[in-house]
Amino acid sequence: MLRSFFLFLFLALTSVVSQAQEIEVCKTCEVKTIQAAVDMAEDGDILRIKSGTYKEHDISIIDKSLTIIGEDLPVIDAEMEGTAISIRAENFSIEGLKIINVGRSHTNDFAGILVSNSKNFEVKNNRLNQVFFGILLERSSEGTVSGNIITSNAKSQSTSGNGVHIWKSENITVRDNEIIGLRDGIYLEFVNESEIINNLCKDNLRYGLHFMFSDHDLYKGNIFENNGAGVAVMYSKFIDMQENQFRKNWGSASYGLLLKEINDSELKNNIFEDNTIAISADNTNRIDYVENDFRNNGYAIRIRGAVYDNNFKRNNFLYNSFDVAYTGRLNNNKFSNNYWSGYSGYDLNRDGIGDVPFRPVTLFSYLVNKTPEAIVLLRSTFIDLLDFSEKVSPIFTPADLIDAQPQMKKIQW
Amino acid sequence: MKKIIYLFVLGLFIACSNEPQPIDYGNDHCDFCEMTIVSKAYAAQAVSDKGKQYKYDAIECMVNDQLQHNYDMPVNLVANFKQPGTMISVNEAHFVINDSIKSPMGGNLAAFKKETTTVNKASEGTFSWEKLKLEFLENDSLTTSY
Repeated sequence: MLRSFFLFLFLALTSVVSQAQEIEVCKTCEVKTIQAAVDMAEDGDILRIKSGTYKEHDISIIDKSLTIIGEDLPVIDAEMEGTAISIRAENFSIEGLKIINVGRSHTNDFAGILVSNSKNFEVKNNRLNQVFFGILLERSSEGTVSGNIITSNAKSQSTSGNGVHIWKSENITVRDNEIIGLRDGIYLEFVNESEIINNLCKDNLRYGLHFMFSDHDLYKGNIFENNGAGVAVMYSKFIDMQENQFRKNWGSASYGLLLKEINDSELKNNIFEDNTIAISADNTNRIDYVENDFRNNGYAIRIRGAVYDNNFKRNNFLYNSFDVAYTGRLNNNKFSNNYWSGYSGYDLNRDGIGDVPFRPVTLFSYLVNKTPEAIVLLRSTFIDLLDFSEKVSPIFTPADLIDAQPQMKKIQW
Repeated sequence: MKKIIYLFVLGLFIACSNEPQPIDYGNDHCDFCEMTIVSKAYAAQAVSDKGKQYKYDAIECMVNDQLQHNYDMPVNLVANFKQPGTMISVNEAHFVINDSIKSPMGGNLAAFKKETTTVNKASEGTFSWEKLKLEFLENDSLTTSY
């Protein structure tokens, strides 16, 4: 009994001793390159990388659980050749590195940090500059990507990659990152049960955040500003969208939020401001839009074909050129209890609900939808007259597309 | 004066031709999925007999669009994966579907110019344009399965 206790104690102690090993990397240290440090490290070691510039690329870490810590932002310069760091391991973390000049290619996805077939990892507080792909995760799970700042110049490049690119993974958290000037800020393809929280995606060539074939995900508290389009959710279901801001996505085909073939999702407490089209919905089913603000957009909502069972409830539509543009039949979509700044009705019984229904689709928005060039007539008296006559007796716009309980006051949420 | 008339007539012919216009990467939108076209290795385009231009971010989008709408286009071009940015006719292309090809719409599909590719035994096999359309019809491809 006693012997086995000592044996246990001995084993425990030795394992502690072997775990505590720390390898320092710097220009004047014994270990001068990161790859050399990785090669000599064992499971559980800490690699401390001192400040300086390391001209290394394709640093590869395979099956080693390492903690890599950069002190004072050491620079890894991949010199436009390939990937900077690639990892396939469990239980590791990378923090405090600055990675620059990742190689570009049409056919290879070179990245600042490539994580492949990994589990339980953390990539945090790194700076990535002039990268092709920033942080690329594939076939991985239980990971966190947080506090990274990723910048590049996708707009002036013939090829461009995504800031955080996740493919075939699950249970990933992407939090507090800043992603500026890439192709898609955050790209998810076949990614389930993951969370995208409090990120800033700005000036990206295509989308701030892009879902493809991804289910049961949440994005919350993010800011999407001046991207080709803010967020695109495509071919996905059960996506929870909360407290995000979609701003300044201006351009002939720019959207705040592009929904295409998405089912069973909810949008709540989002703010859409200064977008050409705040939400474009195409083939979307069973979506609840609750307590969102639409301010100063060209179109607040543009509904295209095959949209069923979408509920718009308690939203504020404030000073948009068009509140709703509609193609086709009403298809069981509902507008109720919203506040419309264009509502000119009255409330005689003072219950806070307007006594006449509001028609969010004007004849003019119907016309512009059919003939985009008609937009030059915007705000002309003739159009006001047309809109008024349509309001009195709807012929072109779906007659039953009304908000029967328009709110008299802006909704506080 | 005569020269100007010739030029004008020539202009008329050019305006009516179904020459494909080059894709403006980063600005043009896919006519099927609405995504901005950014990837030169996977893009595709078609021109109708009346000269209407269709541009796609991925070959799978072009196939799906044409199958769903029963389009039959006189001009169909796809990006040559070996030389991104160059477009080749579908008739001079082999199509490869393989998990390692990450095309934009999840079709794992790319095109190669016929002489330049050697078919790898491990690959899933290559398709001609006509066979590719049949394959999409049978599989009710990924992008339309929802």
